[in-house]
Amino acid sequence: MKFKLVMFFAFAILMVGVLSMAQPLQLVFWGGWTGPDGNVMRQLVTEYNGGHPDVHVTLTTMQWTPLFTKFLVSSRGGQSPNILAMHGPDIPEFASYGLLTPIGNVIEENGFKSSQFAPAAWSGTFYHGKQYAFPLDLHMNAIYYNKKLFRKAGITLPTGWITGKEFLNMAIKLTIDKNGKHPGEPGFDPNNITQYGIALYSLNWHGFLEWYELLRQQGYEFLNSSMNKVGYPLSAGQKAWSWLQDLFFKYHVAPIGANSPLQDFLIGKTAMLEDGPWEIPAMTAQKGLEWDTFPIPQVFKHKAVWGSGHVLTIPIHQDKKHMKAAENFVTWLVKHSDKWALSGNIPAYNSAREFARTLPGRTGFLESTPYETMLPRIPKESQVFSSASVSPIVVAGQNILMRNKDILPVMKWMNQQIDMIFTQ
Amino acid sequence: MSLTKWNIVGQAKFVGLQNFIDLFRDTNFTRSLVNTLYFMFLTVPALVIGGLLIAMLVDQSLKGRVVTRTLVFMPYVIMSTVVGVIWLWILDARFGILNYYLSFLGIRPIAWLSSVNWAMPAVAIATIWWTIGFNMILFLAGLQDIPNELKEAARIDGASSWQVFWSITFPLLSPTMIVVVMLTLINTFQVFAQVYVMTGGGPAMATLTVVQYMYVQSFQYYRLGYGSAIAYVVFIFLIAFILLERKLLKRSGDLN
Repeated sequence: MKFKLVMFFAFAILMVGVLSMAQPLQLVFWGGWTGPDGNVMRQLVTEYNGGHPDVHVTLTTMQWTPLFTKFLVSSRGGQSPNILAMHGPDIPEFASYGLLTPIGNVIEENGFKSSQFAPAAWSGTFYHGKQYAFPLDLHMNAIYYNKKLFRKAGITLPTGWITGKEFLNMAIKLTIDKNGKHPGEPGFDPNNITQYGIALYSLNWHGFLEWYELLRQQGYEFLNSSMNKVGYPLSAGQKAWSWLQDLFFKYHVAPIGANSPLQDFLIGKTAMLEDGPWEIPAMTAQKGLEWDTFPIPQVFKHKAVWGSGHVLTIPIHQDKKHMKAAENFVTWLVKHSDKWALSGNIPAYNSAREFARTLPGRTGFLESTPYETMLPRIPKESQVFSSASVSPIVVAGQNILMRNKDILPVMKWMNQQIDMIFTQ
Repeated sequence: MSLTKWNIVGQAKFVGLQNFIDLFRDTNFTRSLVNTLYFMFLTVPALVIGGLLIAMLVDQSLKGRVVTRTLVFMPYVIMSTVVGVIWLWILDARFGILNYYLSFLGIRPIAWLSSVNWAMPAVAIATIWWTIGFNMILFLAGLQDIPNELKEAARIDGASSWQVFWSITFPLLSPTMIVVVMLTLINTFQVFAQVYVMTGGGPAMATLTVVQYMYVQSFQYYRLGYGSAIAYVVFIFLIAFILLERKLLKRSGDLN
């Protein structure tokens, strides 16, 4: 009887061992792709799972802000995901909390060289000299334009960078009131515009980003060299805001306080839209819309455009086996990021980016890639560059671009609020 | 937690009353408090008086009263975030159905959600539409609790409809009224989801409410200690409402 009992338990332990060995290793992957880009990533994950029976990756997507809150809470409880997507500028904050694993030479060990990636994407993975992430893509602002409306206005379809003046002339030609008149013409009625030249974001933090790229076009950094205080010259900031403000209130080429600039563009109410490549699926889905892109105008001395980039990090709290499997998955993902280009994002990996050239509407983004400028990389990024309604950068953008407030006092208020965040 | 500086991840650092001191110096917090009170001013009278009027209407033996009760109450079962999304579309400046109908009255399109002046009234309209049905139900229950004999006796004595309402219905409805007012005050003080979905607290902080500010500080800025201090202020307000309710109910003799 005793022998039978021992045999039974030995058999049971053996079965449990065999069954657990047969189970694929589970990897948890979190990302903030809640639009069509989420479906593309899901397809990539499915493809990976299909080709790697020993590993099973589960992708969870939700909006970035709650995702990061969830990450902080989960990390506190020792339950980090195995792979976490974020943006390059998010790295300093999470790295300074000690929640990300420095990846060392893993990228090189997997056969990559830094020269195989877009420089902005590669440098965006480092913080304090350590690399914390695999670069996946870049996404920056560009100008979407409606080809039909351009042809109707007799404007040559743009392909590369144009000056601010050329852009403004185009926007004026494309802005029409109910009597068919353009801004500046006698009798033009700014209260009855039927078609606008350009849709710009002014309600959310993109208003600030539109300004930031113009500040960078003048060659200035937003923060001081110690990255702990606002550091740009007010005159440069004023020039940038002023250029944007005039589009709304002086030239009337952009609708004031537009709730949905994308919708306005999709239905042909506006002829151009400044936005990122994440809108490409929406453009493609819009029946009858003939569209393409070109870089944002070069208003000042240098070419510069705001952009960011998705990166893939490996959070702490995991054993070597999971970490290795996570590295393998991420490496595979980077190598296959040509398919990620279908989401609209511009792959960071050079050869994958070449594939993006074959896809429609990527011209503006690809031309902009060498000039992409990210937001300063600071540990207090979630507060200083927050998209929340109380964020100084959001409120400043709304006051200047929507409420036509005097630029200087608003800018000083914004700077003072940001400096205060640094001291908290 | 409100006495600490804590970002979820690291160790909480004891800071005494510093969060509360900062809070009362924080102009954004003051702004959120004023905005919340403005929101209450826009919604509470409409929800209470409107709820009572609708309840009195559907309490009559009129045709279609059951359908009307259902239609008025129906929005209340919808999730608050869905309410926000629905009204986001209704109030859209360019494509919204409300501006479309207003155009027939010769009213120019209103930028409901992107105008500093209109954003809070817009959120208030959505809230009234969403929650008035609940108040209606409470009032209806209160009205149906009033014995008909009392009203009939008053009418036989020659009382007008107004006198019946003012001298019989209203006094007997006062316990219900107190409950409705208090619940409405408490609910409107905690407004969050509609604001979160419809305006995010903007434009230019015009719709930033106290609970929204607490959310931003706690879960977007990861300032859990400061967020907790805001939560305490919310708690104090709610306690004050409840104490007021108890006092009023005691006076009306309805607190058992």
